[in-house]
Amino acid sequence: MQHFVCSCCQTSSMNDSELISQILNGNMNAFTFLVNRYQKLVVHITGRLIQRHDELEDVCQEVFLKVFQNLGKYRNECKLSTWIATIAYNTSINYLRKFKKGDEVDSDDSAALRNLTEYRSDEFEKADLHQYLRAQIELLPVQYRTVLTLFHLEEFSYQEIEQITGMPEGTIKSYLFRAKSLLKEKLKFVVDEDSLKLVKEISNEK
Amino acid sequence: MKNEELDQIIEKSFRTEPGFQLSPDFATKVAFTVARKEQWKTDLREYLYLTGILLSLLAVVSGFYYFVDKAFVLQAAAFLSNNIVPVILIAFLLNFIWFADRVLLRLLFSRWSKT
Repeated sequence: MQHFVCSCCQTSSMNDSELISQILNGNMNAFTFLVNRYQKLVVHITGRLIQRHDELEDVCQEVFLKVFQNLGKYRNECKLSTWIATIAYNTSINYLRKFKKGDEVDSDDSAALRNLTEYRSDEFEKADLHQYLRAQIELLPVQYRTVLTLFHLEEFSYQEIEQITGMPEGTIKSYLFRAKSLLKEKLKFVVDEDSLKLVKEISNEK
Repeated sequence: MKNEELDQIIEKSFRTEPGFQLSPDFATKVAFTVARKEQWKTDLREYLYLTGILLSLLAVVSGFYYFVDKAFVLQAAAFLSNNIVPVILIAFLLNFIWFADRVLLRLLFSRWSKT
């Protein structure tokens, strides 16, 4: 079962299907490599959904445990990243339902949208705009955060997001549009022309 | 113009890494945890294989000995059937010790070593 032989050079050049067959043959080194390859994807999805740094590692571990246990059932009907993202999404939603924010998952958006903080212009630090936006994204309802992460950060297509979350394509587009409009509205409240220029400069520097 | 700039800023922030961190050895830790959790299945499979092999050997030897010394085998069978309750108890006890050695203790030790 445990094959911790040093085959790093071999595994790093493997494609997903070769990696899967290696894991199914009991090569744990290949599994370590798979975790390394997809941990960013998993941490982005679970992190955005559960929003608990202290429990993030446990939830991610649970995701990869499920990946390992169900790898034999994986058929090449979708990309491995889509399949892993589906497991990460379902595990995170179950976590929210079980331990923390069941109401947030099941309720409509309106309550969560009301939670978005209101910043007043005079309290606002110009250089903090990106930080402010990131904080605002974290305050969005869970469905909005999910589609934003999958579409913009992980660059999944609408069809793939539909496969992962089970949301219809129209809903995904609507969430993306509404999230963007919402943040834009909030920015218009807090940002004056000067700070906008400053942020643009910072963005271009990066 | 302002609208476009806002769009750019927002889209850039959507693509910015959210800053969630896992420990640097996360992949290794997960692989070890998975291996440990899966180990008991391997142990159970080994136990079943070995038990099957032992029982098969016993059956083959008894069958072979039946042709060598038929009377002894029949006598042994009669003894076993006359003492069926203690025989079952002893067989159960031996099997439990065997199972504990091959599966149960290993599973418990791995749980304890985790804590």
